[in-house]
Amino acid sequence: MRIFSRKAAFLRKLSQGFFLLLFIYILWSTTYPLTGALPPETFFRTNPNIMLFTSLSERLWLPGTFFAVIMLLLTLILGRFYCGWICPLGTLIDMSGKRGRNKAVVPQRLNFRLNKAKYAVTALILLAAAFSLQIAWALDPMAIVGRFVSLNLIPAVTLSVEKAFIFLVRDMGWSDPFLEVYRHLKNSFLGVRVHFFANSLIIFSFIAAILASAFFVSRSWCRYLCPLGALYSLFSKAPLLRRKVEKCTNCGACASVCRMGAIKNDLSYDSGECVLCMDCVYSCPVGGTRFSFRKGPAAGEENKEGMGRREFLIVLAGAFLSIGQRHRKRGAGKKDRPVIRPPAALEEEDFTDRCIRCGNCMKVCPTNVIQPAFLESGARGIWTPHLVNKIGYCEYYCDLCGKVCPTEAIPPLPVEKKKHIRLGTAYVIKQRCLAWNDGLKCMVCEEHCPVPQKAIKQDIVEINGERVKRPVVEPTLCIGCGICENKCPARPGRAIKVDPRTAERTKAG
Amino acid sequence: MDRNFTPEKALSKFQEILKKEFSRRGFVKALFFAALALLSRSFFPKRVFALPRETAGRAGKRIKAAHDLAVVKGKDPYTNTEKAVNALGGMGLFVKPGDVVVVKPNIAWDRTPQQAANTDPGVVAALVSMCYAAGAKKVKVFDITCNNEQRCYSNSGIAEAARNKGASVFFADSWNIVKARFPYPSQMEGWPIVRDAVECDVFINVPVLKHHGLTGLTLSMKNLMGVCAGTRGLIHINIGRKLVDLTDYISPDLTVIDASRVLVRHGPSGGSLEDVVAMDTVIAGTDPVLADTYACTLVDRDPMSVPYIKEAVSRKFGSTDIAGADILKTG
Repeated sequence: MRIFSRKAAFLRKLSQGFFLLLFIYILWSTTYPLTGALPPETFFRTNPNIMLFTSLSERLWLPGTFFAVIMLLLTLILGRFYCGWICPLGTLIDMSGKRGRNKAVVPQRLNFRLNKAKYAVTALILLAAAFSLQIAWALDPMAIVGRFVSLNLIPAVTLSVEKAFIFLVRDMGWSDPFLEVYRHLKNSFLGVRVHFFANSLIIFSFIAAILASAFFVSRSWCRYLCPLGALYSLFSKAPLLRRKVEKCTNCGACASVCRMGAIKNDLSYDSGECVLCMDCVYSCPVGGTRFSFRKGPAAGEENKEGMGRREFLIVLAGAFLSIGQRHRKRGAGKKDRPVIRPPAALEEEDFTDRCIRCGNCMKVCPTNVIQPAFLESGARGIWTPHLVNKIGYCEYYCDLCGKVCPTEAIPPLPVEKKKHIRLGTAYVIKQRCLAWNDGLKCMVCEEHCPVPQKAIKQDIVEINGERVKRPVVEPTLCIGCGICENKCPARPGRAIKVDPRTAERTKAG
Repeated sequence: MDRNFTPEKALSKFQEILKKEFSRRGFVKALFFAALALLSRSFFPKRVFALPRETAGRAGKRIKAAHDLAVVKGKDPYTNTEKAVNALGGMGLFVKPGDVVVVKPNIAWDRTPQQAANTDPGVVAALVSMCYAAGAKKVKVFDITCNNEQRCYSNSGIAEAARNKGASVFFADSWNIVKARFPYPSQMEGWPIVRDAVECDVFINVPVLKHHGLTGLTLSMKNLMGVCAGTRGLIHINIGRKLVDLTDYISPDLTVIDASRVLVRHGPSGGSLEDVVAMDTVIAGTDPVLADTYACTLVDRDPMSVPYIKEAVSRKFGSTDIAGADILKTG
């Protein structure tokens, strides 16, 4: 049964393009009112690296892990088809690799040695997970490309479209057709607001480095570092769908064209490295290579790649060191620099452990208040979501961030419950307050307070014969949504802020 | 690009450029063309084609209606509004065929119509439909909201109700603004105002009567804050004077105050149904100050305690003389 021919190259590119666009579409539609065709966590929940290791480290069965297991079972049959046909990061790498020269072939011994690095990464993740520390997010391709799309790509595209329309309408005066088009777009495709994200250049530099590495060695990220690739690779050591060589002139065309460097000098292949791109099939001058399910003369033995005893010990030592790091830090002044977390987020230790830094909550937040933390909550909190009230505030009737979190680090709560969740407590800085310090009539904070009984009360005094109202926070009512801080007209520093130490956090488990 | 491009070649090319001698004439020339390019990119189109950046506001039409105020009581806000406007002399008095009309409701909060923080969608729908019946070319409905725009527009029910009647409902763009210019010294001088609110033939102000923490009541003049961009919180300082200036600047031709459901405590956003009182009233009039003053009496509040009415009185802007006004009450 010959199921792939030269045309498979076109099919593969079609599939890659489709899934890349699907990935972008899903994140694009991750916005109010959340009416996308697929749930926003689709690509994250079908990701065994994230789902299995997070489940293990959290000692529970995360909803959706089922799909990740299915992906692994499919890999047992087909091999690393995900890497070659679906993975959006792989597609981006292929696209950028085309621009480079790709000819720098790594010597085979070095290549297979470097290949093991990704197993070390996975082993480290596994060991950490066994000791209840989730670090699967750090090098996960879906999280990396998810952050790129949500925090870099979509803001950049929407901003430039918006700027183009502003130029046409305001500066060129062509408001007649363009203003209508702009308003229509804004209501549909463009989204109402262009979102901005803190540290987005640092976030972009990660994916830029990965894509740049493809300039020098094609798919070097997938070969050497990707933990998801490693996991799939472990499950495709002996897949049912295999490469077979029937006619061979030893020309070596397949080995030189292979993007994964999976074809050895003797022209046999390592199925754990093969992403089924089919380049070897249609580059073969005599048409002697094919992939089939039928048992036939396999070209060469299956590769027994993996970790040696020595590597395993090194990794083990590394894992213990990182766990030691964790215990050293526990309780060491961590409460001194708290950040405002999304509503009902898990308790801090569990939250940083459960969060996979995919950026879904930041993308979906209608007020743009959820921002990626860099070092605001310590080194362990890098890229975790936190609320910056200068940029936005937590919308009273909105429950979207909990709905889109793939690992329930922000638990999904119905609106009726969510609106009572306390994110912190507001406090007035009287030295900055226009009413307290300058005796002006302001009360903008009280005006915007969404709590029906108003968590900001008026303190009325007589100043020079005029009644001046001054804001006082009622801590029992305040939910810390931060709209008061967001709308406070005092500059440069807001006169009312939210202290997150009283936040209600969910207990894990 | 050169296929055999190497870093060495790039370096040698760069060195070649460095070796070339720059004459003074060449340098000045290059500078001249660079400046020209910059100007033609940003300066020239803006000067020649750009929309005006500042305006002196709308000229008030001072339309004389059949009555100073029409107050209609009844269960349905939609029919109340129709009756009230018809009592004034019909929408044809305000809207001429081919006019561009702005209907400016209060859509500031992410609240349902039952919570009474926004204008009732029925009132807006009635006005839009009457404007089109009077021959309006286009009816625009918008507000700069306090909560998230999308949530406010959809949960208030106004976007859907107005769109069903054919109105153009859009989110006001913070960049599409004009700067306000006043013929007299004003604290609102230079304030950014949504362009659509100024460049229209008819402006219909459709506030909702409700409690407000600072000013006591939110009324028609307060509702005009919804056409202001910028840091609007600052308008709260000296709010009376600023709102009267703003009302003078916008000069609404028709004011329709929705008092169907009134939020009597914890305004302007409210949220609890316990704070809402059904009054089933719609007030229509051409003088915003008179309409506001009448609305104060509905909730038993001294009009002089509302800073912008007090300021209007001191400047003889509009009328607060309810006893002497011609008020038609029906229903």
